[in-house]
Amino acid sequence: MSSRRRFVKTGGLALLGIGVGGIPTFLVRAAETEKLSALYKKKKILVCIFQRGAMDGLMAVTPFNDAYLQAARPTLFMTAAKAAGDAQLIDLDGHFGLHPSMKAFEQLFREKRLAVVHGIGSPNNTRSHFDAQDYMESGTPFNKGTSSGWLNRATGLLGHDATPFRAVSLTSSMPRSFYGTNPSVAISNLQDFAIQLKGNPAAAEMAAKNFEDLYGHTSSSLLNKTGKESFEAVKMLQSAAQSNYTPANNAVYPNNPLGNALKQIAQLIKMDVGLEVAFAESGGWDTHFNQGAATGIFARNVTDLSDSIVAFWKDIEAYQDDVTVMTMTEFGRTVKQNGTGGTDHGRASCNFILGNDVNGGIVHGNVQPLAIDNLEDGRDLAVTTDFRSVFSEVADKHLKISNDGVLFPDWKGSKIGVMK
Amino acid sequence: MKIPVKLLCIVITAIIATSFIAFRDSNSENAGTVFPWKQAGLTERQAVAHLLSRFTYGARPGDIDAVMKMGLEKWFRQQLDGNLSDDSLNQLLSDYDALKLTNAEVVATYPKGAQVLRMAVKDGVINKDSVNKADKKAYKGELKEYLQQNGMKPQQELFRQFINQKILRAAYSNNQLQEMMTDFWFNHFNVSITKNDCAQFIPAYERDVIRPNALGKFEDLLVATAKSPAMLLYLDNFSSSGTSDNDSKADMQRRNKFISQQLGDSAMQKMQKARKTQGLNENYAREVMELHTLGVDGGYTQQDVTNAARVLTGWTIYPMDDKGFGGGIKKMLDKIGEDKLRARGFVHEGDFLFAANRHDEGEKTVLGRHFAAGGGYEEGMELLTMLAHHPSTAHFIAGKIAVRFVSDNPPQSLIDKMAKTFAEKAGDIKQVLLTMVASREFWSAAAVHAKTKSPFELAVSAVRSMNGDIRQPYQLFNWISKMGQKIYYYQAPTGFPDNGQYWINTGALLERMNFGLALAAQRIPGIKVDTTALIVDNNKPEAAGVKIGSPEFQRK
Repeated sequence: MSSRRRFVKTGGLALLGIGVGGIPTFLVRAAETEKLSALYKKKKILVCIFQRGAMDGLMAVTPFNDAYLQAARPTLFMTAAKAAGDAQLIDLDGHFGLHPSMKAFEQLFREKRLAVVHGIGSPNNTRSHFDAQDYMESGTPFNKGTSSGWLNRATGLLGHDATPFRAVSLTSSMPRSFYGTNPSVAISNLQDFAIQLKGNPAAAEMAAKNFEDLYGHTSSSLLNKTGKESFEAVKMLQSAAQSNYTPANNAVYPNNPLGNALKQIAQLIKMDVGLEVAFAESGGWDTHFNQGAATGIFARNVTDLSDSIVAFWKDIEAYQDDVTVMTMTEFGRTVKQNGTGGTDHGRASCNFILGNDVNGGIVHGNVQPLAIDNLEDGRDLAVTTDFRSVFSEVADKHLKISNDGVLFPDWKGSKIGVMK
Repeated sequence: MKIPVKLLCIVITAIIATSFIAFRDSNSENAGTVFPWKQAGLTERQAVAHLLSRFTYGARPGDIDAVMKMGLEKWFRQQLDGNLSDDSLNQLLSDYDALKLTNAEVVATYPKGAQVLRMAVKDGVINKDSVNKADKKAYKGELKEYLQQNGMKPQQELFRQFINQKILRAAYSNNQLQEMMTDFWFNHFNVSITKNDCAQFIPAYERDVIRPNALGKFEDLLVATAKSPAMLLYLDNFSSSGTSDNDSKADMQRRNKFISQQLGDSAMQKMQKARKTQGLNENYAREVMELHTLGVDGGYTQQDVTNAARVLTGWTIYPMDDKGFGGGIKKMLDKIGEDKLRARGFVHEGDFLFAANRHDEGEKTVLGRHFAAGGGYEEGMELLTMLAHHPSTAHFIAGKIAVRFVSDNPPQSLIDKMAKTFAEKAGDIKQVLLTMVASREFWSAAAVHAKTKSPFELAVSAVRSMNGDIRQPYQLFNWISKMGQKIYYYQAPTGFPDNGQYWINTGALLERMNFGLALAAQRIPGIKVDTTALIVDNNKPEAAGVKIGSPEFQRK
């Protein structure tokens, strides 16, 4: 495929070099197409997944030798002991155990492509979902007035031209992470990215022509430019047949919002439309009631999360070198279980980073024994890794964005080596 | 015939001079204001179209003729007064019972989802184990029944009514400027439904805090927002209390003695515990300066922020509910009694409470102004007054209004004029608007058609342009959200950015076109429009749809 492209490109340009005279139009057109896609090709892609509601990091990746944790969680604690049967944690390193419902992650961890950072969180100790998400997404944990999101700033620092699909959030509304002046798109369904009129496709097609003409001739440069980009984007999506999409490698996406979002991100990646930053969400992590242990609400959530990510990873096998996936959640949950079989709002949690340039197979971070003296405010897993040190390292190593002063103003920390 | 250049110059100078005198008169005496559209080379029809594009949610068929007949100045004065009768709108709104409730009634009737679940579990209606074990569908029915039996309703219904009323008002109110300014100030003092804690107080916030003050004095608006439950929760000031470091030991002992005497030791312990877990919160103090008054370059320091936060400690919400939020404190306060509280420096004003026991009584300095120790509630009022009348505020607010109504980059000369009026007229919003409309800049070629409609403005102006009948406003809300403006759900305290660059991106632009097509094809449920109002010949309705989605209709 790529050799054919190279041939067309060099051949086409060479022909152009000797004069336009007798060049077959199909070759010129092919060269132009190639120029267009060459512009978009071979970009690194960061996929961020926000787990809204605050994931219990101590249940996702459990320090299973910790007697304090065991005592604090009479019905929630699980062990890595064989005797536990179905409830047995997956022993990662003799110290941390992966929740059994995340067994899909195990292989990637063993292959050293998946890393965990434990004890990650925000220096601002708010336990409000809203505030903590706001701070994490703006990237400024002590300043609410920051108008932009960190991923929007990141796209502004990429230092090359954007396509209409450079930053895409597969959500119904623009996430806080994407707020800002750099162009970005929020769309829950790629099929909607077209001129359409329910029940009257012929009229829509006519109207599309009219619109393209009107926007091509308007005196407003903003509307003119964006209009052109819109129609270009529509054509990009149309040319890459998107209905009846079949994932590669028999990957099966779970039928849930995250699975659907990641499937569409995979489609965008394969279409070569210039995607560089993608965003998706996963909900239901606010487990105050009966969060369950080996089974139950939490188990279902982590199944959805890991199965979705693993299906995505299989699906984009040919692009894995270019893609890094990173999860994030606004805070963790109390070390002690509460009176209703759940956990309340805490401080640190853990996150997952997947990619071929990730320093994987390691649980990074610094989790101390959960004795009360080591807990933040006497109750929560302490934040020992600032989320910005991890986000900035991923942005730096994967997207080659090194301007931390713009990405995370006010932050002056060091990186912890989650990337190679 | 050739006119000597010299003579021509004299004539032009004379015209400019007289028009200048007219402005100066109009600035001091509003009654005689004449809008200088002729000097800008506009026809009267063009001038009216421009005026209506900026101060209404779009002209309806016939509106331009009506205003030409009435005169631009008279129409604008009526809009500034904002008291035209709105009988048919009020008729439409009369069904929205949730919007008539006080905050306390809202808390009782529309409790938060998680709270309902907790109550239902506590009352044994829903089995603790069934919650979360199965999906929500399993107990949805029981929960609904539980709500009904207890006279409560799902919170989403409150928001549905609230969102619908905004769309109906924008589409049908005769007092269009009032609605536009309500929208402007809401966005300026943004609060968000995305923040669960403050969400239920937002309908009353717009109704009681923003709308009545939208064309009043800026200071009143600022103080009203500062005291509102929605803002106190959104920017956390409700929880901000003085830390013991800032209090003198004598203060503390005095306070503790008072509480012990009044309430007994257990209450004392409770209060102390509450104090211990909380402390100074600077969020509101920072945003009130950065976003509400001075602007980010308004000349304040971190020290000012911290000290302003200390000034505002104890500004909190009067507990509304006997059972839920703040129930314990309410019993305590009821027991002490209003008179005694007042004597101790507490202030109870509607939903607002100044809790003297949470106030930092030390001395502070903000923006060079010294606040002596023991200033209590009054020092907070002094601070807000100072901020409301600060020269930076005058410029910041003038600039923001000019951006909303003139162009994304309004000329500095215009902002200066408006800021001058703001300062001279003590933050009188009507006077600032008048200065703006009486300026040459407002009517200049650089301003006409210069603004990009927000998705909300696009949707409402499209409906108005075709004399639309809105039966299901929420359907419009869904489209407006898809086009990129989920009203009332903007998460950051900055409010929606107000510039075309923000609204126009590839995805949003396609949605705008699709909206036009769907609307004109009568494909939006519950919205009927008359496409013949927009197209003169016997074109197909798609022609109206293309017009709504066209570049020209995105601008105003």
